[in-house]
Amino acid sequence: MWDPKVVVTGAAQTPFNRRKDGTGPRDWALDAFESALEMSGLEPAQIEALYLSSESDFFALQLNPASVIATELGLFGAAALRCESGGASGQAGVQAAVMAIQSGLIKHALVLGLDASASGLPADEIRTLYGFSFDNWTDGLTGLSATALYALSWQHFAAAQHLDDGHLTPVTLQNRTNACANPDAHLARTDTAEEIETSALVASPYRRLHCSPLSDGASALILSHVDASPRRQAPCIVGIGSATDHMHLGARSEPGTFRAKRQAMQKACAAAGIRPTAIGIAEVYDAYAGAQLQALDALGLSDSLDKDLRAGAFSPEGRCPINLSGGLMGQGAPAGAIGVAQVATAARVLEGRYHDGLQPAELPDYALADTHGGVCTTAAVTILRRSAAL
Amino acid sequence: MITYHLSLEYDLKAGWLAPFVDALTRGEAMARACADCERVSFPPLRTCLCGSRRADWVKLSARAHLVTQTRGPDGTFALVQFEGADGLTTCAIDEAADSSGPSEPSAETLCLIASDDPPRLLLSRES
Repeated sequence: MWDPKVVVTGAAQTPFNRRKDGTGPRDWALDAFESALEMSGLEPAQIEALYLSSESDFFALQLNPASVIATELGLFGAAALRCESGGASGQAGVQAAVMAIQSGLIKHALVLGLDASASGLPADEIRTLYGFSFDNWTDGLTGLSATALYALSWQHFAAAQHLDDGHLTPVTLQNRTNACANPDAHLARTDTAEEIETSALVASPYRRLHCSPLSDGASALILSHVDASPRRQAPCIVGIGSATDHMHLGARSEPGTFRAKRQAMQKACAAAGIRPTAIGIAEVYDAYAGAQLQALDALGLSDSLDKDLRAGAFSPEGRCPINLSGGLMGQGAPAGAIGVAQVATAARVLEGRYHDGLQPAELPDYALADTHGGVCTTAAVTILRRSAAL
Repeated sequence: MITYHLSLEYDLKAGWLAPFVDALTRGEAMARACADCERVSFPPLRTCLCGSRRADWVKLSARAHLVTQTRGPDGTFALVQFEGADGLTTCAIDEAADSSGPSEPSAETLCLIASDDPPRLLLSRES
């Protein structure tokens, strides 16, 4: 268990969607930054470092983006680096900033998640790029898509857990229902179970509505040393953890198990001095409906997925609401912004600042943000604690 | 808005994986056998799961058994068990060679076929 020193003083995001208004990533970055900075009460000159989470240079054709964004935001002289670990890029940025502040080197940092994953390139070309998120000499050049790899992994998980493809639909319905109360959500949809299960086949058993969309957007966090925080009610980051699994799905002893996520969660819980059962709400990496169930198992948030799904344990009124934001499937998935937005959501919920209709009436003590890259090849989780629970 | 077209032609070097990549162009499966724990990895691993980097190249039969598969507009992909390999292998299945579709998955046998541009893990179903 460590001595937590980092608090979330600012948390914001832009809407996640497919931009058609002529704006670009630099516009979204400024919107998210200004909102987070206003919440923090800090001045730009107090930000000592920018951690820019962005998955790919190809989306916006911008190498070395951190220096460009630092200039755009007026963070003159601040340290700036880009953080990338596939779908976990957002939390890679969060964790890099946490370590810098926790070490005492800096007092305030901006973590900015940013990607134009929808409007910068045609969707098929984005998906081709994502196909190189895995070993490019084997899976990449073979043409395996992300969806195909997740579909194979899900089948192994479902067989081991005695689940079936029917368990994918309630996950999809719940996340998109949550998204309907989130004004920043990309897919606030009210599809029926039949519409989900008869939508276009992508990679069996996954159909289009079981999948997260390609989205544009930005999210921002101002992280501060607790001794320099201008806000006493700011929630605290009490645990971080990350881990990797084998890059080849077939080399894993259990291709359906997200082992890296389990290890990352164990590290974060050890740092926080809690067990997974202490988590009151969680934003979970649901790139696909089955991936959410695989995540809940790996994170230790459920001993019986079938039983918990039937009991509504993960609904907004349940024991541990999952993806109040709608998750990737509902809120959307601008790659680098995902993990940053998850932490922002968790922080806002812990302060009672989240959207009407989604904010739990009783504030939880602990919240979890969970991302991964590849087919959970790289996992990163962050645990936050409500200030009054300190 | 501006439209900008960028064409990239990569010249990728296989490095230590060259025996594996070259073999794919011949429809052959070159695997790596660990000198310490004897695990046979395919695709080959530079560092074995036991941590050793002492290994020899071995040629497998190129025959594999279907474990799980997924189908969609992008094609059919699978996890298969290559004969002589430990662990599973992700691959593409050339459905053009057999459009009749799968029978009982566990009973299916497949064979690596030669591929170029790029060399890849492409299998066909054995009739």
